[in-house]
Amino acid sequence: MAVSGFEGFEKRLELHFSGDDPALTGSMGLRRLDFSLLEQVLHVVQCSVVSAVANQYFDAYVLSESSLFIYPTKIIIKTCGTTQLLKSICPLIHLAENLNHSIISCKYTRGNFIFPLSQPFPHTSFSEEVSFLEDNLPKKLANRKATVMNSSKSHAWHVFTASVSGSGVSAESKAAAYAYTVEVCMTDLDRVLARRFFGGNGKLMTEITGISNINPKALICDFGFDPCGYSMNGIDGDRYSTIHVTPEDGYSYASFECVGSVFDDDDDLVRMLRKVVKIFRPAKMSVATSTSRANDVSTRVNNAMKMVGMKCRSFNADDFPAAGNVVFQTFTAARR
Amino acid sequence: MAGEEGTVIACHTVDAWNEQLQKGNDSKKLIVVDFTASWCGPCRFIAPILADFAKKMPHVTFLKVDVDELKSVAEDWAVEAMPTFMFLKEGKIVDKVVGAKKDELQLVIEKHAK
Repeated sequence: MAVSGFEGFEKRLELHFSGDDPALTGSMGLRRLDFSLLEQVLHVVQCSVVSAVANQYFDAYVLSESSLFIYPTKIIIKTCGTTQLLKSICPLIHLAENLNHSIISCKYTRGNFIFPLSQPFPHTSFSEEVSFLEDNLPKKLANRKATVMNSSKSHAWHVFTASVSGSGVSAESKAAAYAYTVEVCMTDLDRVLARRFFGGNGKLMTEITGISNINPKALICDFGFDPCGYSMNGIDGDRYSTIHVTPEDGYSYASFECVGSVFDDDDDLVRMLRKVVKIFRPAKMSVATSTSRANDVSTRVNNAMKMVGMKCRSFNADDFPAAGNVVFQTFTAARR
Repeated sequence: MAGEEGTVIACHTVDAWNEQLQKGNDSKKLIVVDFTASWCGPCRFIAPILADFAKKMPHVTFLKVDVDELKSVAEDWAVEAMPTFMFLKEGKIVDKVVGAKKDELQLVIEKHAK
């Protein structure tokens, strides 16, 4: 285990804002945020845009340290390394207010840092992160919860949510009742497979690893870092998927995140997860699914894992106001 | 029009668009068309990079089409995601890049710019 190296584990922030249902009004909402202002916020977080694409539903940016997705009433930002992600909260809330969109919920999640001592303020500990969130979120987001979901053999899953009490439902949350988000973290990647993420040619990496095949319908925006590393955003209608890879031996890491709907074919998620495992063959893996409890997809996750030789080692579930139900499972490769 | 070489030429009307296409066909120069929109963040990201390419490659024609301004053109060319870059040579589409992808753009321009 290296003394220090690039931190693959991401910090993820999801902010929901008030606003009319974009499907009805065709309003661009937060997508109208001036790009130069967005760049300023990213500068505060210590990252920058390296690639981007937009379709009729949302804007997707590949960053020097992960990804940013902007929907009319929702912003998702995921950053790795030693970025100070939470510092983006105040500027983003402020910019949204200027466009008459007020924040109605916030969700912050992350696994465990491989190199926690390398993290700057306010990411030196979960309690420091929670303090920062408590201090910087507006008081009207009064429904708050912070939880650490542990696992015996693997990393934990940290979740903080805050939302307005009572109604204050965003347009996104109507669809959210049927939607789920899957956040996958993989460590100790197969060395030979990880070598494919060296060399700086993102397009080649997408092809030869089979990433382009995870969702053949998705438009992919990829980026290969020099001398190694890889990031991609996939866009398919109003859905994103995103992969980030730190391939170096000793602290290798890969993440996969996607969204889906309970109306999808059951097999879709299973197929995608199986492909993801085969691309990275991690020794350890965690899958966190967020959805409303009635639409739990954790069984599908489990089935997918069994098919590719990953054994479930822990299972944790908890309810979060406005963010729904989070199920956190960890897996290890049955045989290596 | 003199003085346009080295810049990204914006086509604001269908006539201007057709005129530029005709010029390109006649000159056999590579034409790179940027289908963009004023509200599109990713388009804003790539704009200065494209302007830089235009400056460094005066032997290539760079055009800019706003999909709201020239809706019919955007529809004709089936533009869905943005920015979309179409590569035209002698009246034919020779390549396409979808997304604000600097490295890929550069490679494709160099490939067709001979």
